Amino acid sequence: MTKRPGLAERSDPTGPRIGSVDLMVRIGPLTLLNPVLTASGTFGYGDEYAHVVDLGTLGGVITKTVTVKPRPGNPPTRIAETPAGMLNSIGLENVGLERFRREKLPKLRELGAAVVASLGGETPRELARLMEALGDEPGIGGFEINFSCPNVSKGGARYWAVPRRLERTLLMLRPLTRRALIAKLSPDVTSVADLAKACEQGGADAVTAVNTFVGMSVDLDHVRNRLNRSTGGLSGPAIKPLALARCWEAAAAVAIPVIGSGGIMSGRDALEFIGVGAAAVQVGTLSFVRPRGAGEVLDEMVAWLVERGVRRLDDWRGSLAPRPDEACAPRPSRGTLAERLRPRRR
Amino acid sequence: MSALALQENAARALAWRQVTARVARHQDYGAGHRWLDLVLPAVAPRPLAGQFVQLLLEAPSPVLLPRPMSVAAAATRGDRLVLGFLYAPVGSGTRTLAALEPGDHVEVLSPLGRGYPLEIKGTPVLVAGGRGVAPLLFAADALARSGRRCEFFFGARDRGRLVGLEEARRRLDRMGSRLHLATDDGSRGFHGTVMDLLDRVALRLPQPLVIHACGPHSMLKAVARWGTGHGVPAYVAMESIMACGTGVCRGCPLPRSSQARAAYGRSGDGVPPSLLGNRDYAMCCTEGPVFAAEDLDWERVE
Ligand SMILES: Cc1cc2nc3c(=O)[nH]c(=O)nc-3n(C[C@H](O)[C@H](O)[C@H](O)COP(=O)(O)OP(=O)(O)OC[C@H]3O[C@@H](n4cnc5c(N)ncnc54)[C@H](O)[C@@H]3O)c2cc1C
Ligand SMILES: Cc1cc2nc3c(=O)[nH]c(=O)nc-3n(C[C@H](O)[C@H](O)[C@H](O)COP(=O)(O)O)c2cc1C
Ligand code: FES
Repeated sequence: MTKRPGLAERSDPTGPRIGSVDLMVRIGPLTLLNPVLTASGTFGYGDEYAHVVDLGTLGGVITKTVTVKPRPGNPPTRIAETPAGMLNSIGLENVGLERFRREKLPKLRELGAAVVASLGGETPRELARLMEALGDEPGIGGFEINFSCPNVSKGGARYWAVPRRLERTLLMLRPLTRRALIAKLSPDVTSVADLAKACEQGGADAVTAVNTFVGMSVDLDHVRNRLNRSTGGLSGPAIKPLALARCWEAAAAVAIPVIGSGGIMSGRDALEFIGVGAAAVQVGTLSFVRPRGAGEVLDEMVAWLVERGVRRLDDWRGSLAPRPDEACAPRPSRGTLAERLRPRRR
Repeated sequence: MSALALQENAARALAWRQVTARVARHQDYGAGHRWLDLVLPAVAPRPLAGQFVQLLLEAPSPVLLPRPMSVAAAATRGDRLVLGFLYAPVGSGTRTLAALEPGDHVEVLSPLGRGYPLEIKGTPVLVAGGRGVAPLLFAADALARSGRRCEFFFGARDRGRLVGLEEARRRLDRMGSRLHLATDDGSRGFHGTVMDLLDRVALRLPQPLVIHACGPHSMLKAVARWGTGHGVPAYVAMESIMACGTGVCRGCPLPRSSQARAAYGRSGDGVPPSLLGNRDYAMCCTEGPVFAAEDLDWERVE
């Protein structure tokens, strides 16, 4: 299959109009063909889906968080479905640095997609070790540091929810790679904005807002917790409004790009995140429901933009949350894009 | 498992597709169970006995995630695949499924996991508990097609819960296979559990035996214990709560036995290792749902 270029051609003769949209996104040194990435822990290492998804059409694939040592993960039960969402308590099960390098890295180089490796650590030192080992490896376009896992007893979301710790850690990691450095934040904090600012200070190229929300589910009939560790991370449509607010808050606080994540199930959802200021988005739980979901999100998004005559995604970005920054400032002459697109009242 | 079977499994691990299926037949099947026939475009390979699918209800649906379901029958009709399912409406997902009518659509992720190693030599002893009969109906069919007889043990709480009994009988009659029934209350067949029954008649069956079982985990635990005690290999179809069904979410772990932990990593089988479990846990959706009973730690299975 051919790769989709940054300019996604849409030529549906039955559609309202033929057009194209510039979807290119820059995250520091990393250029993405389009803004739709698959979220860490929900798309394996990409090759598991390669037979059903044309990976080259995605903006990028973020791999399962890797830690220095392999982790067996938490005991069962690890999943509980909740209204419009799911709780997970996987516990960062992963193959560890050694096997990641040996078995996964060669495959990642052949995926035909931009690859962002997710790294997790219990201490700044552990993250530095991972970055020393992987920072210059060809085939990895960027690193997303998982500062936000809710399901581990050490080095989880709570440990990293300290602005100064984040800033210092990123300052330590920054010199170890020339690739994109992305910090993934937890929503369960007093101020996502403060954490995002700390990441910016520490030299991150972008922040991801947000990881799962801590949640709990009990089985009243059997009088027990549904998950092994009592709490888990909530994802899916249930968290979208919460994630959207956190994403907007982060985007308003920093000048670096913000990658939106949380409950994105359609192209319209993705457009909402980009509308409040996200540079790109991640699709997580949707992949479990529809393995081709990320591609469908992209197609729907493009169709919506084309229908409204928006030719550059940058024009739409931030339209729903103008901020005093040149790229997204409202254009006084024509009104904001959101105003132009709004249907007229009678 | 033979080297060939391992190879085939490896190739099959990444052969699943998600397709839209049409409900062709949907009817009551006794004791509150339902039988569902789905017609799929044959872009995905035909499942093997013991493999499962993920059924996703079309929007608007009261549930988010797809529901795992064993394949109870499979037939090819031209360029279509007809898959049969036997299920119990127990919660909001399966109850909504139960309301679908012929002509309605569902999304199907198929085929998933690994099936029963029916090619193993010996008399196949199929042991079914309650609705666990579903994949074994398929197994009985597959054995009959390859001209092999089997011994089919079927147990339930009472006679009403021997769901699909007539279906089982039809499939077994073709090869002259035998049906052995047990009910906890003695309302049909042997009075006791299906394992008590097997224990009684096992010596009279043509040796050696190979067990293929499905049912509640408590029954499968008894199967595992019996198999170990009598030196009979046993393969059991397990269940776990699942999200993806394809090995990426890591949500469906089952604890490995110490023996399986020790052997872990020694026999790579071509499947991307990240799809399988780790040293401590096997993933039910990719390594299973059918496991060699000795590979699981039954003290820790829930
Ligand atoms: C490999 C496999 C094969 C299966 N084959 C069959 C079959 O042939 N016939 C049949 O009737 N049932 C089968 N099941 C069980 C079936 O998937 C559950 O009954 C169903 O998911 C319940 O969904 P619900 O929405 O109706 O119930 P709810 O109670 O509303 O479900 C809530 C959550 O729990 C999960 N869940 C509940 N019970 C089970 C269970 N026993 N196993 C796994 N997840 C569960 C659901 O997936 C869901 O995420 C199988 C399960 C697995 C894993
Ligand atoms: C089963 C599961 C496993 C996850 N594993 C990881 C992980 O290893 N690292 C990480 O940074 N995020 C992980 N996440 C979080 C997702 O990447 C994503 O940020 C979150 O699920 C919210 O997006 P969604 O609602 O689209 O799923 C996981 C989520 C789920 C549901
Ligand atoms: S259900 Fe996702 S790994 Fe098994």
